[in-house]
Order: sequence, then C-alpha cells, then structure tokens
Amino acid sequence: MAVTTANRALTILIFFNAFVVGGVLMGFEMLGSRYLFPYFGGGIGTWASLISTVLCALAIGYFVGGAVVDRYHSSRLVAAAILLAAIYLALVPATADPVMAKILNSIGDGPAAILLAAAALLLVPLSLLGTFSPVAVGLLTRSAEESGGVAGLVYGISTVGNVAGTLVTTFTLIPTIGSRSITYLYAAALAVCAGLLFLPIGKKSP
Amino acid sequence: MIVRSLIAGAVIAGTVAAAALFAGSADAQDTRKLLESRESLYNNIYVYGQGPYVSLTFGYNRNIYTESIFNTLDDRDLPVEYTRCMTASLIYAKNVNSILEIGFGGGRTSFYLHRFLPQIPVTSVELDPTVVELSHKYFGIMDEPNFQVVNRDGRIFLNESKDRYDIILIDAYRGPFVPFHLLTKEFYTIVKNHLADGGVVAQNVEPSTMLFDSAVKTIHAVFPQLDFYVAAGNVVTIAYDGPPRTADDLDRTARQRDSAYNLRYSLHDMLAQRRQIQIDGGTVIDPHAKVLTDDFAPVEALKAIEAHNRKWQ
Repeated sequence: MAVTTANRALTILIFFNAFVVGGVLMGFEMLGSRYLFPYFGGGIGTWASLISTVLCALAIGYFVGGAVVDRYHSSRLVAAAILLAAIYLALVPATADPVMAKILNSIGDGPAAILLAAAALLLVPLSLLGTFSPVAVGLLTRSAEESGGVAGLVYGISTVGNVAGTLVTTFTLIPTIGSRSITYLYAAALAVCAGLLFLPIGKKSP
Repeated sequence: MIVRSLIAGAVIAGTVAAAALFAGSADAQDTRKLLESRESLYNNIYVYGQGPYVSLTFGYNRNIYTESIFNTLDDRDLPVEYTRCMTASLIYAKNVNSILEIGFGGGRTSFYLHRFLPQIPVTSVELDPTVVELSHKYFGIMDEPNFQVVNRDGRIFLNESKDRYDIILIDAYRGPFVPFHLLTKEFYTIVKNHLADGGVVAQNVEPSTMLFDSAVKTIHAVFPQLDFYVAAGNVVTIAYDGPPRTADDLDRTARQRDSAYNLRYSLHDMLAQRRQIQIDGGTVIDPHAKVLTDDFAPVEALKAIEAHNRKWQ
C-alpha cells in the first residue's frame, strides 16, 4: 500500500482506531454476560443471545458503513458513530438494571426476552462501531489494486483488537474493577477515538 | 445446578471413606466402572459405579469432580460428609414447613430430607436437564408427593417465585466453579426475601481458596448471623437474620427435632462440628477479601488464589 507523507498520520490514526474499536467491541460482549446473567441466568441460551446479537450488530454495521463510505468520503461520519456509541455505553451502567428488570417482568426469561435484553444492551453501540471497518477500508483505499491489501490490514488489526479486548476484559479488568467501571472506561476510550478522528488530520485530502 | 463435594485426587483421600473411593484424576488406577458418560448442555458427566456406590462426576481439565454419591443399598445414607452438615439447617429454622434447594446434582441431600420429612414439601432447582435425568436413572430419585425438581437457573427461579421457605440450601457448582450470579450480595438479598419468618440459608463452600473469604463476607453482608460447620474438605455456612441463637437453645432444638424426625444423622451430634468465627478483623477470613456484587464478582480469579493454613479454632 502506497502511503504518502500527508496520509501517513491518517493511516496510523485509523489503524489505532481499528484496534481500540475492535477491543471495546469484544470486551463489551464479554461484559454483556455480567449484565445479563443476574436476570436471565448463566445458561447457554444467554451466551447464544449475546453472540448472535454481536454478529447481527456487526452485519448491520458492515452494511451501513459500506453504503455510507462511498457517498461521504470523510472520517467525520464514522467519528460521530463512535462518539454516539461512547455516549450509549456511558448510559448503560445507570440504566441497565431497570431495563433488564423491566424485560424480565414483562416478557419473562425465554429466548425472546434474552434476545431482547442482549439487543437492548449491545445492538445499538456495536452496530455503530461495526461501521468503522468498511469506512476505514474506504478511506485508506486509493486504487482498486490496493483494496485487498488495505482490507486485509484493517480487518487483521481490528481482529487483533478483538482478541486483546476479550482477554484483557476477562483476565485483567473483571478481576480488578467492577463491570460498571469497565463500561465507563470503554466509553472514555471510544470518546478519545472519536475525538482523534475529528481532528483535521482525520480529513482525507482529495 | 450442581452439588459439589470433593476436589479430585489427594486433597480428599482419606477423609470420607466412601467418597475416597471415587476421588482421583480421570486416569488414576481404580476399580470403578463407568456406567454412563454424557455431554450435556453444561457439563461432561460421568456416572461411575463401585460396589454399592454410584457417583455423579463432572470432568474438567483431566480432573473429575464428584458432585454426588448414592448408596444403592441404603436410600437414607449420605456418604458425603458435608451433605449431612447441610441438614444442620434444621436446628436453626424457626419452623420447618418448606424446604428449597438450589443445585440438585444427584439429589441425595434433598431426597434424604424428603425421606425423613415426607410431610414437608421439598423443592429442588437444577440448571442441567441431563443431571435431573441421570438422578432419576442412577441416584434413586423418584417423583413423589411433596418432592419436586424444577429445571431452571437458581436465580431465575427465585426472581420469578413468590414463595417463601423456612430452609434454603445452596449448593450450586459446575465442577470446581460457582456461577458468579449465585454468589453476590444481590443474590443473597433475593434469597433473604424468599425466607419465611425465622428462616435459614445453608450454603456449601469450598474453603481452600480466596473465594471462600469473599463468599463468607458476602453472605455476612446480608445475614448478620453466620455459623460454620466444618466437614471433610468442605464448609457449610448457616446464615440467618435476627439475634444470635444461644448454644443452649440450639442444643434443645437439636434434641427436639432429632426425636421429632428420627433422622439418621443426629442434629445434636452435628453441633460438635459447629464453629463460630470472627469475620471482620479475625484470623480465618482474609481482611482484604471483598464483598461480591453483581458489579464486581471475579469468582474465577479468586478461585485461583489458594488460601494456605486456614486455622479453624
């Protein structure tokens, strides 16, 4: 991939974001279990709901991100998406318990209720985060020949971020600080990512 | 969910004679016969037979964790010592009109209570449907009036139930692990809200790791009174609300209920295993141990920290 000096900063910024966004994405899936188990049990159905909701969110994010990046060739839109996800996560600790209790009391604890609870927790923020990878590929690709290389790099770095997010959340964060604090930490990390993308270097020169 | 009795291998050897027959890693030399192995939704289950004993075990990492042991020749035998101590809850309950168990496993503890107190409704909650099935097939569990097994997550069952119980027994393990949502302050608060006036909670806790310290502090955060029954390899905690019971009072109630129910394992004898410890600022419980909450409950991490030389005075 040919990178000009002017675009080097943008490239590094986008790879950094791919890693952090990937990390928060999977970290929040692991954390989802801590929010759901007290209400819907630690059964295999809860995990299936979490995993399928995350994958649904990613599918939505990929479709939307891919459609949007060809029309608006700017990092500001994806920065806004990450900022919205950050705001959503920041609201989760205070609202999760009443929402879970409401779902449990009105629909029960069957598959529909668990899926709804997982969706309420994860679908919006992770769909927003899911738009990042296709947008990143669009922003970094300048010619058809390099598209494969760019896509491979973005998805590879994002997936390494997924792995890091899963492991750090499970083995370091959950044993050290509470789930609510971890959620605020993620929100802060995303807000930083969004802020960096709003900087002038986030604008791709024509 | 699961009754946990023994850690594999040497830890338990020589403690409970019958139990020791079954202890040991999966590849250890022994004479037990594998009756059935099943991969359920939650566990790798192995049912072994040896002489008259049948054991329900779960495999985790090459280790076998015995969850329940049944003496096929004696319906009223409790070969695993801590399961007898779970019945010490009978000494503490103000009335004995209903019993709930969370974590059924082979079901021997609740069925023992059902056998001796047939007029009292006993309800058990078990997450793994295959465990319920095998308990009927190998562990002498029968569908009888006043004895009910519900296939459910323990916390969901309580969330949805409006019933109150005089005794709640908690013994929910998955191999070596306790599901975190069954060991938090919020969970015990729900449990407390399902206790009848003068009700008690008995909990089986495995004392070799730091999880024990946090579990004790967590239970104590909800229940002011906490007694301990030390049984080979395990500790049973008895928690209740209100003022502490005096030794005389317990002695008298134990004798009364021994004669009323004609129990195999004398409650009065069990009082010899009773310990009272200082939980805050004492020597048994680590002063740095934290109360577990739905927000912060690193049960796996605490389980990995061994607590050495815990001294029961």
